[in-house]
Amino acid sequence: MQAISKELFEYSKNAEDRVLVLIRMNGGNDGLNMVFPIDQYANLMVQRPNILIPQNQLLNLTSDVALHPKMTGMQDMFNNGKLSIIQNVGYPEANRSHFRSMDIWTTGALDINQTSGWLGRYFDSTYPNFPADYPNVNFPDPFAISMGSEVSSTCQGLMGNFSHAVNDPFNTSNLLLTSVTNDGTYYGSHIEYISTLINQTNEYGTAISSSANAGNSLSNLYDPLNPLAVQLKYIAQMISGGLKTKVYIVNIGGFDTHDSQVDQNSLADGSHALLLEMISDAVAAFQNDLQLLGLEERVAGMTFSEFGRQIASNGSYGTDHGDAAPIMLFGNCVNTGIIGPNPTIDNQINEQAGVPMQIDFRNVYASILRDWFEVPEPSIQSLFEQNITYLDVLSGCSVGLAEQEAQKQKPLAYPNPTPSNTTLRFQSKGEHYQIFIVDQLGKAIAQAFDGQLSTGKQELAMETSKLPAGHYYFLITSTNMRELVAFQKV
Amino acid sequence: MQVYTGPWTKAEAAHLLRRTTFGATNQQLLSAVSNGMSATVNSILQIPISGEPLAYDAGETIVPQGSSWVNAVYPANQTQNQQTENARFKSLGAWIAKNMNQEQLCIAEKMAFFWQNHFGVTATAESRAMYHFLALLRQNALGNFKQLIKDVTIDPAMLLFLNGATNNVFSPNENYSRELLELFSIGKGNQIATGDYSTYTETDVAAGAKILTGYTVTGIRSSTETQATASFNPILHDNNSKTLSYHFNNQVVAGAGATEYANYIDVIFAQPQVAKYICAKLYRYFVNYDITPTIQTDVIDVLAQTFINSNFEILPVMQQLLTSDHFYDMSVRGAIIRNPLEMIMGALNPTQTIPNFGLVGDYQMYISMYYVADTMGQSYIVPPSVAGWTAYYQAPAFSKLWINSTYIKKRFDIVSAIVYTGIPIGTNTLKMNHLGFLNGLSNPSNAPQVIDDICDVFFPKAIDAMDKLALKLILTGGLPDFEWTIQYTDYANDPTNTVVSNPVMQRMQAVMNVILKMPQFQTI
Repeated sequence: MQAISKELFEYSKNAEDRVLVLIRMNGGNDGLNMVFPIDQYANLMVQRPNILIPQNQLLNLTSDVALHPKMTGMQDMFNNGKLSIIQNVGYPEANRSHFRSMDIWTTGALDINQTSGWLGRYFDSTYPNFPADYPNVNFPDPFAISMGSEVSSTCQGLMGNFSHAVNDPFNTSNLLLTSVTNDGTYYGSHIEYISTLINQTNEYGTAISSSANAGNSLSNLYDPLNPLAVQLKYIAQMISGGLKTKVYIVNIGGFDTHDSQVDQNSLADGSHALLLEMISDAVAAFQNDLQLLGLEERVAGMTFSEFGRQIASNGSYGTDHGDAAPIMLFGNCVNTGIIGPNPTIDNQINEQAGVPMQIDFRNVYASILRDWFEVPEPSIQSLFEQNITYLDVLSGCSVGLAEQEAQKQKPLAYPNPTPSNTTLRFQSKGEHYQIFIVDQLGKAIAQAFDGQLSTGKQELAMETSKLPAGHYYFLITSTNMRELVAFQKV
Repeated sequence: MQVYTGPWTKAEAAHLLRRTTFGATNQQLLSAVSNGMSATVNSILQIPISGEPLAYDAGETIVPQGSSWVNAVYPANQTQNQQTENARFKSLGAWIAKNMNQEQLCIAEKMAFFWQNHFGVTATAESRAMYHFLALLRQNALGNFKQLIKDVTIDPAMLLFLNGATNNVFSPNENYSRELLELFSIGKGNQIATGDYSTYTETDVAAGAKILTGYTVTGIRSSTETQATASFNPILHDNNSKTLSYHFNNQVVAGAGATEYANYIDVIFAQPQVAKYICAKLYRYFVNYDITPTIQTDVIDVLAQTFINSNFEILPVMQQLLTSDHFYDMSVRGAIIRNPLEMIMGALNPTQTIPNFGLVGDYQMYISMYYVADTMGQSYIVPPSVAGWTAYYQAPAFSKLWINSTYIKKRFDIVSAIVYTGIPIGTNTLKMNHLGFLNGLSNPSNAPQVIDDICDVFFPKAIDAMDKLALKLILTGGLPDFEWTIQYTDYANDPTNTVVSNPVMQRMQAVMNVILKMPQFQTI
């Protein structure tokens, strides 16, 4: 009994301390110029010959997937298990208006009438009577911080926006206090809103600046001329200073690359390359800082954009509005690898074709709430309009009950010991796998499997009946996996 | 929607002028009361000719200081070319702020910003083209909208901004075509099927792109040409027939070369939704964000019919709106939160705080005002997107988006500066014209009446008696009212003597510092 209670306690405590950083790439990110499906390269060359970066310049992640040449920081993170990519994320019947599509992404809903943000709804369900009852003794800090001057639509709740706009956490001075009454008119609602804001600005301002001053930043990788790096550094300082803010949102604009997204004389350069380099460098510096600060297991991040761009490039060395695109998750706790297959690019495509959606962004949001904030599944379902299908996205550091769940995902041979054949169960990352039977001396004595496996749980029948009795291992290998699974033949 | 026939007092006159100008003085309010609603509205709806922006910055190397650069070439030397462009951009930004601060009491500047927000054009290539675009919007601000959108379509600034200048038969670019429908004319409805947005479809976007092919822009920052010029090249135009979707009755737009775009716009404007979409935008900008079903039928649809009946003239629509009973309804007073320029000018204009530092000093002051608004999210020449500013379309917050924790602090910082220390630019400092403002009130020696007048000027609705009392105590420094009367009378008898004028000014500073930081002031 006691053990279970302790476990439950630690479980919730960990979720309480976790921080999510969202990077909004405003304008519609050309996913095909960020994450390259190498196996589709020939047809990409047919569809976007004037912008496609030469294959030998790309940064390989796996045999089939490569990153833009400027994203060396993120390539390192991927190789160190701190970056994962979810392919082909979007929603059904893509809307190619920036404004509408960003609404869809920030509300987490396709319903035109939904005006609250997906995180705003989560906060509303957890912290009722916001903003009237906040801040208070138990919750002295803003629930979310939007870096810059704009609050984030993602955090729009029913009655107020849970995000607090912060330009510089070291400079938040006190404002005049006012008291006003709402007479029930539009005017009354406005003056009440403004006076609440004035009061909040005052109280949160103190909490923010004292945390920033108490906090630290240890990495020397931040480029002071990279505005995203500056903002992420501020965030590291606020987190390390003890601010209890759960969500930070940063914005980077410029992705609406209708023309000149590449430098026509050097396709790996140009406006899109600069943006990707900025993101990759800033996130790598931030991750480095978190590691040095000992905060790596408390912080995770995600990028998103309102849509991808069309498969075919246009004559202006750019791309027009499209559909799905990859998103990136980062942090020490990501489930490593690449989730979802490469998009399929045909050599004949319809005019205006975008990358088709395969993974619904709302399922990604729901999975983050489950894995990272450990929100119970029924509560998550109530925040979304569709039936949720979960993905494993941020369970890499799960402990307590979550760890038991993770244990179930570890590779396993059953029955074990076995008198004849056995079944090997493991989580595939959607790659090419080779499985060998290895003896006690580490020598491969047979190849048991060689082939491509789709993402998710696999149960493979293993031919072991002819082995002499003794102790053996299955060696599972792929680009991103090397696991030994012990079994005994009797 | 009936013509307003209720009382015409300072409150109604102030409401009209708050919505249609960047700020009226107390005397202007009193004149509007005595002129009556009809004459006041008629006079507001006259758009005066505006002067051109003048060279003031040393970076300008083509025209002499004090001359207009809007039809002047650029230097051939690349470094000087960029320096000149930087100087012209600053001159243009300053010119915008100057127009607002020195506006005659009319709707011109408010209307000009409405159109700038509507078309969302960012200065992408050169300030000459941007000036001519803004001048087009301003000159036609109350003119014919159908003609305006035709002119905008082939305006060099727009062709450059939304890729019209690179849209050709060999490689159609949908950027302008999409926004023409989605944002500029008919507006986007709910998505009812894949690629079908209720009012148009992706087919129309693709067809529109082809219809609009063939225009190019030359002379950008040229050292020989005095204008960036749009021209039509038939070789670049897709002259095949284009078939529109069922939303436009599957009409075929025949190949018609240089004027095909105008035929296409005529087809779009045959849909009644165009008038409804534009009138809803006007309503949101001038009246209130909340378009209920009743407002839609009783106000928007009525205005839209006026718009259609006049073949898309803006003036009769504005005339009808500004003289309507709904416009003066108490429920919509104060329903809009000031945008940053409305906030800045709303402090400066009613107090007649106007720079007088000579050409260079004035332009420097005005460009700094322009940039202050920029830091609060309103960069006039660089809208956040082609949809304009979110405060005019983003539900549910709308104008609340102009204020958040960062911006409220900036607004307060600006007030503190203007009221107390002044805005320091170079060797000049622009201080609030406290004494001039006070002297223009109805009865400056009477403390309660001073507060009444100030509230009439700055707040959209009456504030409660306790708040007025608190303000009066700030003015009088907590002393009995007669002490103020004495102090003011001493000053009035010897106005150049700072010994008697400074104490009066300091009391006004204390009052204005509170007035302009009250939430009520942030609304119009």
